[in-house]
Amino acid sequence: MKNNKRMRNLVSILLMVVLSAGLILTGCKSSGGGSTGSGSGIKAIYTGPEADTFKQLLMDALAESAAAEGMTLDFGDACLTINDQVEQIRAAVSSGYDAIICLPVDRATALQLQTAAGDVPIVYVNACPDEQYLKENQYIAVSSYEKNAGEYQAEYVYETLGKPSSLNIVILRGELTHNASTARSVSVKHWFQDNGIDANVVFDDTANWSTDEAADVINIFLNTHQSFDAVFCNNDDMALGACRALKAAGYDLSEVPVVGVDATEAGCQSIADGDMQFTVYQSAAGQGAKAIEAVKGLVNNGSLDGIEGLSDDGLYIWVPFEKVDANNVKDYM
Amino acid sequence: MAKTRKHRKIKNKLLFLILPVVVILVLLLVLISSEVAKKSMTAMAKNQLSSSLSNQGDNIESWLQKNLETFSSFKQIIECTHPDEEGLQNILNASYGFNTNCPNGIYVAYPDGRVFKASQSEQSFSNPKESTWYKQGITSVNMSYGSSYTNDNGDSVISATGIINDGTDEIKVIGADVGLEQISIIVNSGVKMDEAASFLIDRSDFTILAHRDSDRISTTLANTDSNKLMAAIADKLNDRDYATTGLKGYQVAFREIQGTDWVLVSYVDDDVILKDVNNLIKILVCVGCVAIILIILLINIVVSRVISPLGHITKHITEMSEGDFTIEIQQESNDEIGVMGSKVSDFIASMRKMLTSINEESERLKEQSDNSDRVSKNMYDASQSQANAMQNLNSTVDQLAVAVNEIAENATTLAMVVSDTRENSNQANASMKETVEISKKGREDMEHLSTAMEGIKASNDELVNKINDVGKASEEITKIVSLIAEIADETNLLSLNASIEAARAGEAGKGFAVVASEIGKLAQNSAASAENISRLIDDVQKAINSVVEQAEQSAENIDANSQLISTALDTFDQIYQNIQKSNDLLDEMVADVEKVDEVAGNVAAISEEQAASADEILETSHHMVEQANSITQSSQDVADNSHELANTSQKLTGYVQQFKIDSEEVDSYEE
Repeated sequence: MKNNKRMRNLVSILLMVVLSAGLILTGCKSSGGGSTGSGSGIKAIYTGPEADTFKQLLMDALAESAAAEGMTLDFGDACLTINDQVEQIRAAVSSGYDAIICLPVDRATALQLQTAAGDVPIVYVNACPDEQYLKENQYIAVSSYEKNAGEYQAEYVYETLGKPSSLNIVILRGELTHNASTARSVSVKHWFQDNGIDANVVFDDTANWSTDEAADVINIFLNTHQSFDAVFCNNDDMALGACRALKAAGYDLSEVPVVGVDATEAGCQSIADGDMQFTVYQSAAGQGAKAIEAVKGLVNNGSLDGIEGLSDDGLYIWVPFEKVDANNVKDYM
Repeated sequence: MAKTRKHRKIKNKLLFLILPVVVILVLLLVLISSEVAKKSMTAMAKNQLSSSLSNQGDNIESWLQKNLETFSSFKQIIECTHPDEEGLQNILNASYGFNTNCPNGIYVAYPDGRVFKASQSEQSFSNPKESTWYKQGITSVNMSYGSSYTNDNGDSVISATGIINDGTDEIKVIGADVGLEQISIIVNSGVKMDEAASFLIDRSDFTILAHRDSDRISTTLANTDSNKLMAAIADKLNDRDYATTGLKGYQVAFREIQGTDWVLVSYVDDDVILKDVNNLIKILVCVGCVAIILIILLINIVVSRVISPLGHITKHITEMSEGDFTIEIQQESNDEIGVMGSKVSDFIASMRKMLTSINEESERLKEQSDNSDRVSKNMYDASQSQANAMQNLNSTVDQLAVAVNEIAENATTLAMVVSDTRENSNQANASMKETVEISKKGREDMEHLSTAMEGIKASNDELVNKINDVGKASEEITKIVSLIAEIADETNLLSLNASIEAARAGEAGKGFAVVASEIGKLAQNSAASAENISRLIDDVQKAINSVVEQAEQSAENIDANSQLISTALDTFDQIYQNIQKSNDLLDEMVADVEKVDEVAGNVAAISEEQAASADEILETSHHMVEQANSITQSSQDVADNSHELANTSQKLTGYVQQFKIDSEEVDSYEE
């Protein structure tokens, strides 16, 4: 009798646990399902350095996506220094913003930015801090996979030059500390290495994203009188400078491909004009939209589950690059 | 002995049950904690390795950067000042020893093949334009590190080179050499993790730039390397898989050095990581063993303590099973065993109480059975003497029957004489006829007597009361006999009178006188017989008195006897009546002598009936004897049974007394 009673108690407790667990689980599900609708009520802020062509595109895309989601997105003043950005983030936290969309002035200062942000999630756009400073569902990055840009460039040049077994290449980098510069440059070299093509780097230096600097550097390079088959630039601005210098030196740009990244307006125009041959479109609209989507996920669910392009480690949302050449350049103008 | 063995068994059982569980739990604990420790140590080691590597990488980068900045500042000076050759020489001389990592200072190659260097520099440049550093130099304006090579002095170096951008079209290359050994020192001394090792490799051509083993410096790493770890690392480098990972018993981490194609690789032996884990496991095993031993001891002590009262209880129960109920059990603990002790104690108390009362009861039973034995013996004795008395009665009745027969014979003789007399005298004949008639009446009366005898039989139950009447009846018989004697006397007188009358009648009466004298003789004989009867009846009375005494002793068992006795009493009554009636008849015979014949006939018949009755009495008294014998047998049985009962109660008492319930008894027994 006693045993039976005990058994009954045990069974009832078990049942209770199972039922309540089921209740909790279904409850979670339903609450999750209910809140994926819109981003209304969310208050976010964008903080970043002074805008260039791409950054402006990105900011426009952010504003547009936020409006479409019904989300309040404010834009902080352009930060000239790290201090400005940290201050701006502190002020944003005390003003009760739900999330911060950040294009860091200096990628290396991510930790300080995060300290300033406290519990408020940060979505980095375009420029990603090192992986160790990212944290799943808290500090995440929306960007394009930079190495794809270099690989696309290398692939295009290789095809354009008729699949040579060896070639001499010139690389113009952005700022040397910028991760995009390294990634884009190294990926060019790696692509050739991995495909068994002997790519001899006859020149590899920075032109600091600048058209004029690129032209100067190319002029210096031309003085070394080394032969070269292609010029790889980390962005379109530098590619424009390279085109200018090469054209001035009498090079036929149809034979020496100059390739860039970003598919800026000027870049696309240059392709249309037959100077630059190829660029990679880093989708400012795509990054902006994904950033807004990420903010919505983090604020509403504390999770990025279900967002397309989320990396396995949950730290990145990759926005794919698109190849732009003379054939499709009109689509990007 | 048996008790202690049992005792141990319980302990062993508990040990056998608990020990494996404890051992398994301890083993599990050791296993789980070692596994967890292993995992966390490995993870920790990975993290430590990564952070060490990251730190080391930062150091190398900053070291390279610092040197590069030094060189670049000289380059900047040259670019800004546009020095002439002498000026350039001065600048280069100033660079000598400025940077300890590049003691020879910087050098500048002109397009015409001349190389300017610090005057104190020991460097030599044979064919600068074909040299590695020059070719590297013309690939960038900003100074950057190239790949390693062996310079003309035979040293393995890495050059930081760049084009001097002084606004002229002339390509001048500035360079500065950093010895690989210096980089090795930086790499080797920068390892922040104990027992970890690092090496630096140029990913573009797999040249090892820095390594703890100086023989490896400047060699090319291939996945065919004899060292399996190095071969595996080569594979990883080839795949550009720079995630921290476990390789060939090592944890290996990779870090790309910014601004170069170099990869810093750091690795640490798993055994080193797991050394602490192994120590931990050893300690855990030791602690586990100690814990097991402690648990064994603890179980021993606890079980002994818990079970010791049980031992006492067991001892007491064993004593109890041997019949000793004098034991006292103390409640030694407040647990179930304590309760058991107290309950056994209660049980013993109630058993003791019960046994005491059984003992008393059996004692009482014994007394009672002894009593009944004695009583049955008495009864036996009584029935024995009753049987004897009955025997006596029997023989007496026998004699009575003989006497009655004699009376009958005499009466017959009398009847015959009277019959003879009838022929001789009409009167006498007539009188005798009357006498016969009277005798007939007497016979009827005798039949009544028979009926009465049956009534006597029916009223057996009144024996006890009636038996007293037997005495009276006997007295009455005595009276009757005396009456018969009187009758005889009167008959005698009658015969005398008859003789007188006969004498008076003269001759005619002579014959009658003879008859009268014969009657007188007969009367005298009857008187004598009656006297005999009287005597016999006295004997009967005595015998009956004896019977009454015996019958009173065994009142219930001699019902049948009493019936018979009452029958006899009735019979005697009837005899008395009959005889009274015959007396009447004799009276009438006296009145009418002629009826004497009939009377004599009747008398004879009555006498015969009387004889038959006497026979019946005889038979009855035979029955009585048998009855008395069976009573004797029964009382013998009763005696046997009660004896047996006495024995049984004796045994019962014996059994009960096997239980010791008096502690003093036990004490004396034990002593």
